[in-house]
This record gives sequence, structure tokens and C-alpha cells, in this order.
Amino acid sequence: MKAIEARSLTKVYPGGTKAVDDVSFDVEEGEIFGLLGPNGAGKTTTIKMITTLAKPTSGSASVFGVDAGSSPEQVRQMLGFVPQAISVDGDLSGYENLLIFAKLFFVPREQRKTRISEALEYFGLTDRANDLVKHYSGGMMRRLEIAQALVNRPRLLFLDEPSIGLDPYSRMQVIKQVKDLNQNFGTTIFVTTHDMNEADELCDRLAIMNLGKIAVSGSPAELKRSVGGDVLTVSVSGRLPDSIPKELGSRISSEGGVLKILTEDGERAIPRITDYLEANGTVVESVSLSRPTLDDVFMKYAKVGLTQEMSFREARSARRSIVRHGR
Amino acid sequence: MNSPQRLVYSALTIAEMEARKLHHDSSELWMRAVQPALWLLIFGEVFNAVRGLSPGGFSYMQYIAPGVLAQSVLFVAIFYGITIVWERDVGLLTKLLSTPSPRIAVVVGKALAAGVRGVFQGVMIFALALIIGVNLRFDPLDVAGVFLVVVLFAMCFASLSMTLASFLKTRDRMMGIGQAITIPLFFGSNAIYPVSLMPAWLQAISAYNPLSYVVDAMRAMLLTGDYSGLPLDIFALLLSTAIFVGAASVVLKRLIE
Repeated sequence: MKAIEARSLTKVYPGGTKAVDDVSFDVEEGEIFGLLGPNGAGKTTTIKMITTLAKPTSGSASVFGVDAGSSPEQVRQMLGFVPQAISVDGDLSGYENLLIFAKLFFVPREQRKTRISEALEYFGLTDRANDLVKHYSGGMMRRLEIAQALVNRPRLLFLDEPSIGLDPYSRMQVIKQVKDLNQNFGTTIFVTTHDMNEADELCDRLAIMNLGKIAVSGSPAELKRSVGGDVLTVSVSGRLPDSIPKELGSRISSEGGVLKILTEDGERAIPRITDYLEANGTVVESVSLSRPTLDDVFMKYAKVGLTQEMSFREARSARRSIVRHGR
Repeated sequence: MNSPQRLVYSALTIAEMEARKLHHDSSELWMRAVQPALWLLIFGEVFNAVRGLSPGGFSYMQYIAPGVLAQSVLFVAIFYGITIVWERDVGLLTKLLSTPSPRIAVVVGKALAAGVRGVFQGVMIFALALIIGVNLRFDPLDVAGVFLVVVLFAMCFASLSMTLASFLKTRDRMMGIGQAITIPLFFGSNAIYPVSLMPAWLQAISAYNPLSYVVDAMRAMLLTGDYSGLPLDIFALLLSTAIFVGAASVVLKRLIE
């Protein structure tokens, strides 16, 4: 069964801004799906339409076969949502935050206590459970939000920029815990991020969104292949070969004793190319390998959006969310 | 759970959330009690010397005690929209609205919390009245009735405020509109002087002022013991509470769209 089926989702805001423009995609049950894109690409609006927080102008979304437009409460019962801005209540303790939202999710009373103490334990928050959340660090707040998913056990968890503003250690923890949630409970994860390393590490499949449309989608490996293979830069002295065999790769350039070769699998190609060059009387001095990253994929498909100026409002809200997370 | 049970359960949970916050930090409640205390102690004492302000043979202090209570509840409730805008700004509202709990439960829960704050105002004002010797009828049933009116009235204006917040969307505008609503309601009502002293045009407006009905109901229970107007007062209050709770739960999602 599909966790999400989005069909021609479109959202036009009053004033005519088309935030999401005819977007269709599927998310399979049990996978970690990433939606990437520059600020203002329409990622958050897409999430809001699937989580029934915003009504699509046209098109439809369904979650595990239930239509978001006609049965919103049934859909929300299956969802967990960790919004971009930290959304735990600072004036309540960590324990109380989990308790209140467990109640609002109608978690059965007999399971509530055990699940909450397990979640606090697992996320390393037991010691601070009775402290007010406003005294937590940003990383702890984020963990508390994800801990909520362990209490409510949603089938589908939305994470909107989960690691924005976190230090590298907290970020790593968040990524690990999201993966655990996916593996141990089969929770389907839908995550948005600007962080390409994170997306590469986390996602089984991803889509890049730009200017309200999905520009490209596939597994991280497929997408990286789509921007070209690995590039070997070989410094040589002596005679350069006129050509290299096709099965080793194709020559991009050769000038000033530097040979650039595009190949499918760079690590395996290094010894073979070195052998071939040495056999043909070329002395190899050094070889370096560069692989395409998701950054290259992102730049290729989202460049149009990035070159446009961010509006004042977007810039302000982006800054605000960073400030908020940084506290 | 069936849907009415879910509604009641989630509304009570939202109210519990607010109550737990007050439990952690109750300083807000005490500070809010300062203003009504000043109205009684300063304004009340001074105007006690003026004849003709309090009909029915009551002292002016007796006369304005219910008025000051109603006014202080109005002030608590009318700024609830600011709270909800603030919760939107910090992302809490998004989280609340993404739970499977029905939206009307969020509104009812918040409104109930306004009621709890209102009851606390009532307790403080009654305590002050006892201390400074303002003679009110402290019959248990009457006091319970006053608290019921306080809760309904707080729910009514908290929902009105949340409805307005859904359209105005910023805290600054809510501050402005809050003052623009409370001041005319207060001075255009029978809270601190009888309607009969007003010019005819203001009397006509005051007949539609909800605050006047609330003060009327409270005075009936705390001073006169004449309950003849009470059914109408409470009916009007119930009706407008239902209307504003309904309106707020329909438009609340505008805040996060």
C-alpha cells in the first residue's frame, strides 16, 4: 500500500502566488522519502496539504488510502508532524509535553505511561523529564519532538527541516534516531531538508522541488548518476595517449600534463587506468577522484530558484526559524 | 471513543495543558488581580462619596464589585487572541492542529482555560470584598451561579478574540483591537454607573451591550436576589458563546495557512 499518493496537488495563495503547481508523487510504505528544494520551493506547503493543515486549491492527497480532503481527522490519526519551528511547549515539562500530545492523539491510557517513560529513556531525556522545556537545549527540544513519535506511534512521520540549527553532534543523533524509528517500527518517514549530506545519508528516495514543481525524483544513487559519473584527475609526465579505451571511461580534457577522465565507478577504474597508462609509456604521478554529490544534483535541478532573489518575507521567516532553533 | 467523547476529552486535555502552565507559573494570575483591586480600592472608595451613582439603596462599593469582576474577566478573555497568535508564531498551533483532535476542541479547551482564569479573578475579588467589608450575598448557590456566568462570559469573549485573531493575524493588531473593544464595552455598560445616567443614544446602544447583561446577572445574584432577568441573561450568554466558539473553530485554521 502507498503511504502517500499525491495527485496534481496545487496551492494558489490569495494574491496569486502559486506555491505548489500540479505536484504528483507516491511514497511507499516503510521508506524514508526526502523532499528537497531551495527556500520557497513549496515543500512546507506540500506537507501542509498532506497533513490536512491547508486545503489544496486543486488536486488530492491520500494517506494509506484515506483521502485527506474528506476524512482529515482519520488522516491525522495516522500522522506525526514535526514542524520546522520547534513546537514543543516551553512552559511545560518534557514529560507533560509528551503526556498532553499523547492524550490529543488518543493513545490508550494503559499504554501511555510505559510508552512515555520508554521514549524519554531512549532519547536520553529521563533526567530532565520534569524540567521545563524552555530550559532545554535546541537539540534536546528536537529530540523531545521526535520522542513524541515513539509515544504516538504514527504510521507516517513528517519532519520539516529536522536538523536546521543543530550542532553536528545533535544532528547526527537526530538522523540516527529517525533511522531507528524507521527500522524498528516500520514508520514511513517524509523529510524535507536543504542539507544534501543529510538527505544522502537518510533517504531511500528523494524528490527535488523547485518553483512549486517536482524537478526530478529517484534514489540518491540514481540522481547522482544523472548529473554524470565519477571524474578522475590524473597528473602525468611523458607521452599522453591519443585516446583511452571506451571501457575505462571517456576523456574529458587533457592539457598541461593533466588528464581528466569520466568513468562509471571511479574507485575501480583507478588501478585499471593507471595500468593502461603505464603500459603505454606514461608516468602517473598522482590520481584524484571526485564524485558527484547531491549538491551537484541540487545545483543542477534547483538552480533556477536559487538565482532568484529571496523576498523580504521569505528571508525574514528563514532567519526567524534559524534564530528560534539556535536558542 | 465516539466523536462527542473525543471532543470533550480533547477539550479537557487542552484546558489541562493551560492549567499545568498556570501551575508552573501562577504569577500572571496574581498580576492580573491588581487592576480590579485598584478599581475597587481607589475608584470605588473615591466615588463612594458621590450620591446617585448606585441605585437600590446599595453602597457604591457594593454596586461596582460585580461590575469590576465582569470587567476583569472581559480583560482576561479579550486578549486570548494574542495568546493564540503567539502560539502560532512559535509553531505550537501547527502542532495542536495536526493532532487528530477536532478543531473545535482546541477552541473550547482554550476558552475553558480563559474561564479558569476568570474564576480566579472572581475568587480574588470576593476575597478582597470580604477583607474591606463590602457586603455581598455570599450564598453558595449564588456564588456558584456567578462562577458559571464568569466561565461562560470568558469563553464567549475568548472565542470572539480567537475569531478576530484568525483574521488580524498579528499580536500588534490584536492589542489594538482588544483595547478598541474593551474600553467602549466597559464604559458603555452598567458596570460602574447605572444606565439611567447615560444620554439617550448611549442608553440605546447599551441595551445591546453583552457586558450589561453579564453585570446584570451578577448583580442579581450578589446584591438584589431578584432573579427575574436571569433566564434571559444566561440564554443570551449561552447563545453568543455557541456562536463565537463555532465561528472560531471554523476560521482558526486561517492562522496557519
